[in-house]
Amino acid sequence: MTSFRLSSGGLVSRAKPLAFTFDGRTMRGFEGDTLAAAMLANDQMLVGRSFKYHRPRGIVTAGSSEPNALVTIGSGGRAEPNTRATVAEIYQGMVATSQNRWPSLKFDIGALNSLLSPFLGAGFYYKTFMWPSAFWEKLYEPLIRRAAGLGRASFEADPDRYEKAWAHCDLLIVGAGPAGLMAALTAGRAGLRVILADEDFRLGGSLLSEAVAIGDQPASEFASSVIAELASLPSVTLMPRTTVFGWYDDMVFGAVEGVQKHVSVPSSDRPVERLWRIVAKRAILATGAEERPLVFGGNDRPGVMMAGAVRTYLNRHAVAVGKRVAIFTNGGSGYRAARDLAAQGIEIAAIIDGRAASTNEAPAGVRVMRGGSVVATRGRHRIEALIAERSGYDETIACDALAMSGGWSPVIQLACQRGGKPVWSEDRQAFLAPDVGPQLRMAGAAAGEESIAVCMRHGRDQARAALADLGVSVPLVVIPGVEGETDGSFSPLWYVPGARDKAFVDFQNDVHVKDFGLAQREGFGHIEHTKRYTTAGMATDQGKLGNVNAIGIVAGMGGVSPADLGTTTFRPFYTPVSFGALAGAEVAERAKPVRRSPLHEWAKKNGAVFVESGLWHRSAWFSLPGEKTWRESVDREVLNVRANVGLCDVSTLGKIEVFGKDAAEFLNRIYSNAMLRLPVGKARYGLMLREDGVVFDDGTVSRLGEDHFVVTTTTAYAGEAMSHMEFAAQTFWPELDVRFVSVSDQWAQMSLAGPRARDVMSQLVEDDISNEAFPFLGVREVALKGGVRARLFRISFSGELAYELAVPAGYGEAVADALMEAGSKHGICPYGVEALNVLRIEKGHVTHSELDGRTTADDVGLGRMVSGQKPDFIGKRLSTRFGLTAADRTQLVGLKPVDRAKELKAGAHLLKEGAKPSTVNDQGHITSACHSPVLGHSIALAMLKSGRERFGEKVVVWDGLRGEEFQAEVCSPVFVDPQNRKLHL
Amino acid sequence: MSLSLQNRHALEGHISGFSSFSNANHLSIVRGVAVISILVQPQRAEDARRALATIAESSARSCGPFEWLIVSETRSADSLLQEAISLDAASVDQSDGRVVMRIAGPDVRRILGKCVAVDLHPDSFAEGYSANLLIARIGANLARLAGDCFEIVVDRSNAVWLFEELVARGREFDLSAGFVG
Repeated sequence: MTSFRLSSGGLVSRAKPLAFTFDGRTMRGFEGDTLAAAMLANDQMLVGRSFKYHRPRGIVTAGSSEPNALVTIGSGGRAEPNTRATVAEIYQGMVATSQNRWPSLKFDIGALNSLLSPFLGAGFYYKTFMWPSAFWEKLYEPLIRRAAGLGRASFEADPDRYEKAWAHCDLLIVGAGPAGLMAALTAGRAGLRVILADEDFRLGGSLLSEAVAIGDQPASEFASSVIAELASLPSVTLMPRTTVFGWYDDMVFGAVEGVQKHVSVPSSDRPVERLWRIVAKRAILATGAEERPLVFGGNDRPGVMMAGAVRTYLNRHAVAVGKRVAIFTNGGSGYRAARDLAAQGIEIAAIIDGRAASTNEAPAGVRVMRGGSVVATRGRHRIEALIAERSGYDETIACDALAMSGGWSPVIQLACQRGGKPVWSEDRQAFLAPDVGPQLRMAGAAAGEESIAVCMRHGRDQARAALADLGVSVPLVVIPGVEGETDGSFSPLWYVPGARDKAFVDFQNDVHVKDFGLAQREGFGHIEHTKRYTTAGMATDQGKLGNVNAIGIVAGMGGVSPADLGTTTFRPFYTPVSFGALAGAEVAERAKPVRRSPLHEWAKKNGAVFVESGLWHRSAWFSLPGEKTWRESVDREVLNVRANVGLCDVSTLGKIEVFGKDAAEFLNRIYSNAMLRLPVGKARYGLMLREDGVVFDDGTVSRLGEDHFVVTTTTAYAGEAMSHMEFAAQTFWPELDVRFVSVSDQWAQMSLAGPRARDVMSQLVEDDISNEAFPFLGVREVALKGGVRARLFRISFSGELAYELAVPAGYGEAVADALMEAGSKHGICPYGVEALNVLRIEKGHVTHSELDGRTTADDVGLGRMVSGQKPDFIGKRLSTRFGLTAADRTQLVGLKPVDRAKELKAGAHLLKEGAKPSTVNDQGHITSACHSPVLGHSIALAMLKSGRERFGEKVVVWDGLRGEEFQAEVCSPVFVDPQNRKLHL
Repeated sequence: MSLSLQNRHALEGHISGFSSFSNANHLSIVRGVAVISILVQPQRAEDARRALATIAESSARSCGPFEWLIVSETRSADSLLQEAISLDAASVDQSDGRVVMRIAGPDVRRILGKCVAVDLHPDSFAEGYSANLLIARIGANLARLAGDCFEIVVDRSNAVWLFEELVARGREFDLSAGFVG
């Protein structure tokens, strides 16, 4: 295909070519390629510009730690910035675009920053852009953001679906390399429930990149055979493309699965990503090890990459990263790369080995420069040569790629996310995971093991140990022999002295060695401070590649061991997780559950406009043709209720059925007013207090039988009231014989209110409901014509003659239809919660606008409902404390604007005339306000200091939010029918 | 005024548009199910548990300590309430307040795995087991009727939401839906 693609070998499907574009240029790859592999095959070594200096950057790794090859994939709403080309699986038609450059990747104006680099060291921004402060947000930040940064998020809506799911297993294995596969095989063959998750789209881990033989098979074929066996085991779940990003309490692991990120056109039936919560009894981290870069001058030039990555591209993707490759190493990995390159006929310029001596052997004919180092590189968009130094002698060596290896760092991130600190191992010259208990074990290279054979055995043994913890003994899986392994040991080399160019430690954040020196000089010596000052270890790679080198270098500067310095804190997420995956399907109209009243369809067909009220969708008002504003509809509904009759859906009220021989005693203790002697067939308004004496909720209590009650709560507090009762029954008074259950959904409940209410209701009810037979606050079970049994309550929230009729929910719509039909000749109209609100404000009834968690019963004019006779009830003791009985507490009053044209608004504050607005001068506030169509002007309920003594006084309504200030008259909160005559019609 | 009052199912009008046949994975909305709540005192719990198992043509679903739902497709709520009297239990009809959904098929656990946090493996949630839990953020009762068959009893007000959630999460597995009974 190209001169960099090998004609044979690799694990790509040559029969399945795929076309994609990078910066508009069409390229070709094969199924099984990552974007990085395909770009390398197309001689696209330059893939991005660095964060701060805009230096040309190439691909460094072949995995999730990639700092440089960040591209935007997709377009429009599907554009995903900062995607690592090294893990993105190519698909037909993929559109990839480079980032942080202008006007083009090859010619980037921002590269001028590089010339200014002597002035742009760590802390430059903090020190420079300090004055004037007005410039911070408007000038400095936009400029800096424009000059530096990564990709840009799309402003278009994401068209794809995301979702979340739960999974459970006996053993979770993270990483499907040599150790992970053997652990899975051990547990899977024993019938344990195993989940094997790996971030790669192909399982096998490092075995896919190895040229060794296992048993009598190449490593990749051995991996395939193991995976095939695992796939055949019913108790094993294989999860490729799944990154386990977090370890949380109770052995819950967070993982994100790329379900359709690798397809051209995602199916709408499936999500593109799925967020997993995996609950595991035990877990094994077989997450491998990360190869460390070497910190030498010019180490960021495109073409300089990790030796392990060179082998992955070569052995897995059949891509040679160069035609003349040099190798700079301090351990066996460089020699392995040389061996594999030589086997494919790739010319090796030289092996520069930082060690004076080693047991590693170079391929025949390859020059080895022991005790040497690389001090600089040459080339513009790709390395063309390196300058090696040994014993004071410089030598320029031509090459078009440089493989580097500075040793290995076990990937222990997950194990340290819950407070455990990494432990430095002098033996391994690496940070290892701490002992976090038997629930989570490290295996293979993640535990510091080196050879494939040892890793496989370790994976198996760790699985057996984990299962033994669960009381399961499993047979020994026989591990086949590994042929062709070489010594992979290394000597630490944190920094290569004599750099002639910048020696980068953190490629992604453009942090080089001198930045660390500056941080130490300026007092940011603690590694956490060093990180913040230099930005090393931030952004998408979170220091996977550079952090250990950074620690080694800073430790060296201080003359201490990395063990003394420690590491920065490890937190989720291991790799970036999209907001889409975190949100799942719970977005837009699915963000929260919606509850529907049994009268929802009835309201809909009668023209209701719905309003969200908690989770409920309630009918707000019912618009008629010709009505242009909601106020027109609401005014009409209110006037009609006052003059004729209206029907309102009150099904959303909480309804709790209470049983037991101690039910009355229980309710007597729950409510502040007396309930013990409530007669059967009667309802009573009830007030619940919190233990601190403040009002909790209100509602009604109806006695259906000697030991049988039904209580209603407000819609908003239905759940809380139930919990409150459960808590009291279970912990305060377990000796009481009382049981209760929510029946909120069983009943469709409708309020029929207005002077014609009886005329309408009597057409449906078989029973006598005359005022004499069924007076105010009466309750009874009734039979409806048509045979349905119902409950009828003569209670009123509007101040009118009113009934609440409860019917089994399934009959709600039919009964409401029947009431509308029966009421047609009486002028019935449906009314919504807006009209209900106006009706209750006119009547001075309180809701949670007044019962706002700060008010007492006395504050809202219900002091008589706090019984002085009852020996005890919730809230009794603390309701008498001084703070709750002080004379200057705010009290419920009514307000009328002096200028009747003025509109009172909830939230406005009240002041004495002439007083300046201030907290000290505050006299109270408006809790509820509306236009009263009955009175023809605005009215309000308000909490006013010593309010009941101030009827007739003028106060100032100060509405700072809306910029209004005018006079209002304090009055009784009951604006309509203060003698309650209408209730008793 | 003569009345002929029709009982309307909460999902009436929400299943139109779905095919009338059942795919391998299918969500059945069961009509006409009698559901009653049973509550007993703690000291009566064991006796009640045994007695509930003997109520004919019904199954008892655990809702928490000392509380059950009795579900029957063939018996009326009145007859169940009548029988409950002998249990010395508080009982109340919930038939109109609950919607019963039955979801079955080879991928049912994978579909429900998108909705519930509990482990539905038969070793953990065996046939005959039931519990109140969150399903797609909705409190409901889940019971395992058979290997790949579960029944959900959900509050009527939440039924449309839960139905839509189940259908959306089942699309990947060609979940079909329809009324039965």
